Amino acid sequence: MLASLADGPKHGHAMIQDIFEMCGTRLGPGTLYGAIARLERQRLIEPLDLEERRQPYRITADGRRVLRAKLATLHQFARAGLRKLEAR
Amino acid sequence: MNPRLARSLTRLYPRAWRDRYGEEFEAFLETHPSTLQAVGDVVGSAFHARVCLLDAFTMDSRQRSLVMMTYAYLAAAAGVNFYFSVDDTPLAEAMRSHAALSMSFRLVAKSSFLAFATVVAVAVPVAFRMLRVAFTERRWDVVGRLAVPPAAALITVAWMAAASIWTGTHWVPMPWDVAGDWNAPADWPPLGVRWPLGAVTFVLLVVGLVASAISVAQAISRSDLTRHRPLWLKITSVTLAGSIVLMALGVVAWGWFAERDASEGFHARNGGLFVSTSFASWTASCAVFVMSVVIALRGAGAAIAVQGGSTRS
Repeated sequence: MLASLADGPKHGHAMIQDIFEMCGTRLGPGTLYGAIARLERQRLIEPLDLEERRQPYRITADGRRVLRAKLATLHQFARAGLRKLEAR
Repeated sequence: MNPRLARSLTRLYPRAWRDRYGEEFEAFLETHPSTLQAVGDVVGSAFHARVCLLDAFTMDSRQRSLVMMTYAYLAAAAGVNFYFSVDDTPLAEAMRSHAALSMSFRLVAKSSFLAFATVVAVAVPVAFRMLRVAFTERRWDVVGRLAVPPAAALITVAWMAAASIWTGTHWVPMPWDVAGDWNAPADWPPLGVRWPLGAVTFVLLVVGLVASAISVAQAISRSDLTRHRPLWLKITSVTLAGSIVLMALGVVAWGWFAERDASEGFHARNGGLFVSTSFASWTASCAVFVMSVVIALRGAGAAIAVQGGSTRS
């Protein structure tokens, strides 16, 4: 979800679609709002003004920092894994 | 999704959650396709929010502890079905010949009695006080919620009695009476009849447990329990957590000994629900007990934090 919001604010349906395009997983409505509640409580995302009953969210500065750290770890992990795979 | 269904699903979430997300979530659901998968996802998430977001509620430590004790006990009661899933299988014979297996089985049974006694010791005075205050102050919302567990039990018992009368036998539909690896008594209906009737009882039991847990939690959160003695709450919550930990240890040990001493029977397909094995039942029980232990320990922690008066956090 943080990666989905990295390129700009989105509302629920846009996030579901974006996440599906990124990783092939379609989040259910309960799962999506469970994650929104958790990320907002951790101050990693924040709500913007309502747009026709649709609530957009954007990533916070803390959210960007956490996302960058997670992606760096994943990148390092993927590189190490690929290196081992290619060494055989 | 039609607005009525969206509103009903949103109402499954705790009030504190609804206050923050209710309006936007309802609007979101109205524009979401109404699939069984989406409804299941929302129901599961709402239940998760009720169990895991208790810290976000506006409950004091005393109420939070009681709610967690309710959840922990109901989860443990569900897990104890493991008790019934093995005593009619080939493992019953193995339990007679292997002391360790039988001891761990008895540990689960004895601990479940201790847990039940503890729950009665804490529930009777609390329920009595809640009902007395609710009737005095005409809080029918609390009375209605406290009526859900007995109503759920009554519906389940009425169903079992009706099914027994309908089949014209002495058999009462139980989920664990559908195993096909043993000869049922001659006056029982055939397996093809027992299976669907037992499945209905299973659904009624699960729905009843979940509805009871949610309604009792709501009743507790709407009641003033500041006059309930903290020492009694601490003793009972620690005893309940201890007994659930013992039950969980017994279940884990039983599986370990079953694998060591009676591996063939442990993994044999017993023809029960979904043609399952005792190993599958044991794995499911372990998962439920782990959840129950975590909730019970959190409940005991909340009870220990209770001071003389009301402790808001």
